[in-house]
Amino acid sequence: MHNPPMIPRRRLVLVAAAAALIGCGSADDTRPAKWSFISATIIEPSCATVNCHSKIASRAGVDLHDRDTGYNSLITRNFVVPGDQTGSSALLYLMHGQGSLRMPPDAPLPEADISLIERWIAGCQVPCND
Amino acid sequence: MQRLIVSAVLTVVGVVAFARGASAYPQFQFSSGTTKCGQCHYVPSGGALLSSWGRSESGDTISMAGDGAFLHGAVKLPSWLALGMDLRLAATRTDDGGQESPRGAWFPMQWDVYARAAFTDSFSFFVAAGLRGEARPEDDAIGARFSNPGERFISREHYFMWRPSATGPYARLGRFYAPYGIRFVEHIYFVRRYTGYELYNETYNLSGGYVSDQWELHLTAFTPPPSAFPDALQSVGARESGGAGYFEYRFADMAALAPQFRVGVGKEVSRYQGGLVGKLWIDKAKLLFLGEADFIRQQVTSANYGQNQFVSYLGATVFPIQGIMLGGAYERFQENLAVKGTGRNSFIGQLNLFPYAHCELVFLFRYMIVGDTGQPAATLGMLQLHYYL
Repeated sequence: MHNPPMIPRRRLVLVAAAAALIGCGSADDTRPAKWSFISATIIEPSCATVNCHSKIASRAGVDLHDRDTGYNSLITRNFVVPGDQTGSSALLYLMHGQGSLRMPPDAPLPEADISLIERWIAGCQVPCND
Repeated sequence: MQRLIVSAVLTVVGVVAFARGASAYPQFQFSSGTTKCGQCHYVPSGGALLSSWGRSESGDTISMAGDGAFLHGAVKLPSWLALGMDLRLAATRTDDGGQESPRGAWFPMQWDVYARAAFTDSFSFFVAAGLRGEARPEDDAIGARFSNPGERFISREHYFMWRPSATGPYARLGRFYAPYGIRFVEHIYFVRRYTGYELYNETYNLSGGYVSDQWELHLTAFTPPPSAFPDALQSVGARESGGAGYFEYRFADMAALAPQFRVGVGKEVSRYQGGLVGKLWIDKAKLLFLGEADFIRQQVTSANYGQNQFVSYLGATVFPIQGIMLGGAYERFQENLAVKGTGRNSFIGQLNLFPYAHCELVFLFRYMIVGDTGQPAATLGMLQLHYYL
């Protein structure tokens, strides 16, 4: 009697499910620690939502809706200390939820993204909005 | 012309609204015995104002009792005019792991007014307008939640439509969401948030398509509102111009498959995305499965870097008795497929009760795991009261 390959198929499904849940990717983060990348791919979609730091709402006077405006908001309001090697910029505290809500409050950022932002701040020699 | 003026006056004068997203319940396709979204909505791709058929279904099929007609059937509008309203109040409890967590909030989530005027059997004009709701107002006083209506006024949708019949070709010109993906009422779903369909991401479009009993096609060219437009006509999110397409093929009135694409080209970032939507209704078990998976190529021109993303949704909804909808879903968004720890997984449970026509009670719970380095989970609990006119 022919036995269908049930176990390999199940394993395949389990592996696929685990991959979908855990995700894939390398431990090395090759993304550029540049504001142009961080603003467009992390800050704008996560923080510049309509009732938060969009151009329309500008909560707490912070507008992050595009690269230049967002950079100016963070630097002039001292949320980012350029060249900060200690990770003590207010922006990082907010993203870790230290003394506040964990920003952004509806969908916190993965640690990998916060680390990338930390690297940008550490390497920032004003102006560093490239 | 007179009808246009009446519609405009009704909109401008009568609107005191907390606008949110256009209401659409993809869970009702197949499960209500209706196979096309455009059967219950004036728009062929679904969403916003209900047609007379949709209103009838909302009372007879969706809710436990009541009359779904405008004003519960107390007033009969002329056939060229359709009006509606959505009012939602929400209470939330969020725990994101931060030092100020957990936090509770209540707020007027939506108060949208709709008007549709038909000039002929084929041409119509639609406008939706309201006030932006705020989940976390800076001033926590009750009055602050209803203050400065002028600053929060927004018209998310306004368009002309040519639709000579329920099936066949149609075209739309104006502001609305380009048809794409499973458009849930709740904007927090990843397949809305990360594909260009977050709250107030509506663009200006020229859209057209064809609807038949077995399949439908929607093609759209879109562009963001010009910068010179006032806030009331602005959108948020990526400022991209491009095109989107959605083709749905239905099988035996119980299933559908829909390939889709969207290309958005912006000054700093461009997105090229495509995916598949699947729907399966098992009548015997009163069970509906909905799924969507999208692959996104994001190219950041200014940083000279491209990344691949993945976003997906898989959910099951059961309708144990008329007026009750209970669902569970799993979602995943991976921001960069090449970098470990950039994923988000979320598990959502949702109970919708429709005790009487025009009334809905929603309970939603979401458990979100962010990254893979032991970060605290983020949870959201929401109770929502919804009334539509």
